[in-house]
Amino acid sequence: MPTATYIALANVTLTGNDSSVEFSSIPATFRDLVVVVQNTSTVPSQMSMRFNSDTGSNYNRVAMFGDGSTASSNTSTNASSINTQAEGQANSTQAAFTHIQIMDYSATDKHKSGLIRFTSTPDQPVTVAQAFRWASTSAITTVTLAGATFTSGSTFALYGIVS
Amino acid sequence: MSAWTVIAHTELGAAQANITFSSIPAATYTDLVLVVSARSANASTDDALLFDLNGSTANQSIRLLRGNGSTTTSASGTYLSMGYVSAANATSSTFGNALLYIPNYAASQNKPMYADGVFENNATTALQQMQALLWSNTAAINEIKLRLDSTSNFAQYSSATLYGITKGSSGGVVVS
Repeated sequence: MPTATYIALANVTLTGNDSSVEFSSIPATFRDLVVVVQNTSTVPSQMSMRFNSDTGSNYNRVAMFGDGSTASSNTSTNASSINTQAEGQANSTQAAFTHIQIMDYSATDKHKSGLIRFTSTPDQPVTVAQAFRWASTSAITTVTLAGATFTSGSTFALYGIVS
Repeated sequence: MSAWTVIAHTELGAAQANITFSSIPAATYTDLVLVVSARSANASTDDALLFDLNGSTANQSIRLLRGNGSTTTSASGTYLSMGYVSAANATSSTFGNALLYIPNYAASQNKPMYADGVFENNATTALQQMQALLWSNTAAINEIKLRLDSTSNFAQYSSATLYGITKGSSGGVVVS
């Protein structure tokens, strides 16, 4: 029997509106983390991500976008969170889809980096790929997703990948 | 317990027009992932890898970002694509590769997806393309049908693997 390498750690489907979702007590057992979010929001809004409740200016990212007519790229440095949806957004009727992979999340000898893929809603359609870095050598034990009022039915799932 | 399960895999023993995964169960998994390695039999360098869900070609939309080694472009359309694959005029034995991620494929809501595809053939033409996809249909997805934009056949040895991802809880992680 092959060794299982992609393990479901936690998930939630919102039964009411909520302003944030947090995964905590994440064990250092795995190599990478994967977060999968399909969300709607009460108003068109973007989603931010923080690690270990760190509100410092420690988040950096580079993104590239395609909105159907223009290809573009931008960066954000020394921010207080990662904007996971960049130029796109979720709205109240159409779910946006965000896939986040956090590499080597439990290492204590390096900053944490990861990749994000995002598909937004039809009223602001865009495909986005991002690379991010959290300037901290702490192992990630908490992932907080916020910045929008997530609507009932939004789904959030966390997976661990074993090396 | 692994969250990924192989639902089905196929590798073509001979060229054929479509690769279809049907009778996908609705209640078993949370998300679907389709991984494709394909080559087109069309007399061109590359061919777009398209797909339809539940036999429908309606209510499809795409926003894509493409890089060809020198320029980036973005385009939109009313189809679903995973990118480009090698075709008959490309370097022999080269295949394009693509991954499609479908979250909550059985939920009663429209289906946002993403797909990333690459086509490289050790020659001048090469493409990397990423896609935001939406199928505006609330039906559970029970079929994925791959086809080529040229309507040509997939070449022998083209392959596709469909995975099911199951959400769950383990390891003491708390969600709030």
